[in-house]
Amino acid sequence: MCETCGCGDSGQFKVFDQNHKHAHHDQEADHVHPHDHSHDHSHPHDHDHRHGTVINLNVDILSENNKLAQLNRRYFAGRKVLCLNLVSSPGSGKTTILEKTIKALIPTRKLAVIEGDQQTFLDADRIEKSGAPAIQINTGSGCHLDARMVELATEKLEIEFGSILFIENVGNLVCPALFDLGESKRVVVISITEGEDKPLKYPYMFQSSDLCLINKSDLLPYVDFDVAKAIGYARSLNPKLEFILVSAKTGEGLDLWYDWLAKQK
Amino acid sequence: MHEFSLAIEVVNLAGREAEKNGNRAIREISIEVGDLSGVEADAFESALGLLVRDSILGRAEVKIVRTPGIGNCLACQIDFEMSHRMATCPVCNCFPSEIRGGTEFRVVSLVVD
Repeated sequence: MCETCGCGDSGQFKVFDQNHKHAHHDQEADHVHPHDHSHDHSHPHDHDHRHGTVINLNVDILSENNKLAQLNRRYFAGRKVLCLNLVSSPGSGKTTILEKTIKALIPTRKLAVIEGDQQTFLDADRIEKSGAPAIQINTGSGCHLDARMVELATEKLEIEFGSILFIENVGNLVCPALFDLGESKRVVVISITEGEDKPLKYPYMFQSSDLCLINKSDLLPYVDFDVAKAIGYARSLNPKLEFILVSAKTGEGLDLWYDWLAKQK
Repeated sequence: MHEFSLAIEVVNLAGREAEKNGNRAIREISIEVGDLSGVEADAFESALGLLVRDSILGRAEVKIVRTPGIGNCLACQIDFEMSHRMATCPVCNCFPSEIRGGTEFRVVSLVVD
């Protein structure tokens, strides 16, 4: 644990200011992380045969993340913020869906976006151009966002009372499934160019989501994607999962998505 | 590769517990990894093996206990073992209506001096 800012040694993620001018957590910051020492000299190693004391814990290893996620959840609830965690594989169209959504809803609803990617602030730039405040988290080598990153991002991002906060997670259908961020609902996006068996291949993500947006419906005439089959696979894993077929490109189905958003408390 | 982040959590958790117990040396840590926890037990063990070297767990024996997945089929009223998330009821071939075991991922106990 870094003594100066409380980050994990191996994390090296960065939360950018809204204007992207400097990272909160730059590797060139004025504090340094201790480098690893190799430890290859041998110790005298007397075996101690006294009985040790057993401490029974039964502590969930994700409990620290879960605790922070609960704090985030309470923070959002106190401000009547609807927080949505958007997960998908790379290239499903999450950012385009968000751009369209922001343009459609910004006249009537307060919105904010946290963008997670391994590198670059291209997505936060795109989002800000569409009219909503956005903050970028670069996870560095990390494959998912966690509750601590979201907590740091919310400190920097002005989230107004009653907003919808979209968190665009790192494009990855595996790791983000395990990490609660404090969201109200989890939205998984798949696109019809990915194959209808996605839910079966990544069951954890589909089991932990509340809504599935099936994007790129405009390409249905050109690809062998069976929408009913995809929904059937996903429902067999998670009977409560809702579905909306959309095309971020043509706008088809987006009204249903906006209705869904309006209905969420 | 979230197993590495999870291994960091384990080292941090062990550090906090050791501190609560007067910083006594940790001899052994026992960790339960369920087959349906979403954690790849082998990858997790390798990550932890790399991380513990200079940590509070540097001299501790790491014991990883794997617990099997258990699904319940409401229609057939049976519990059945699930080696993976897509396992179905051996009688009716349906997905389980409830998962009753194998999602655990926790530190069970420490042994300190």
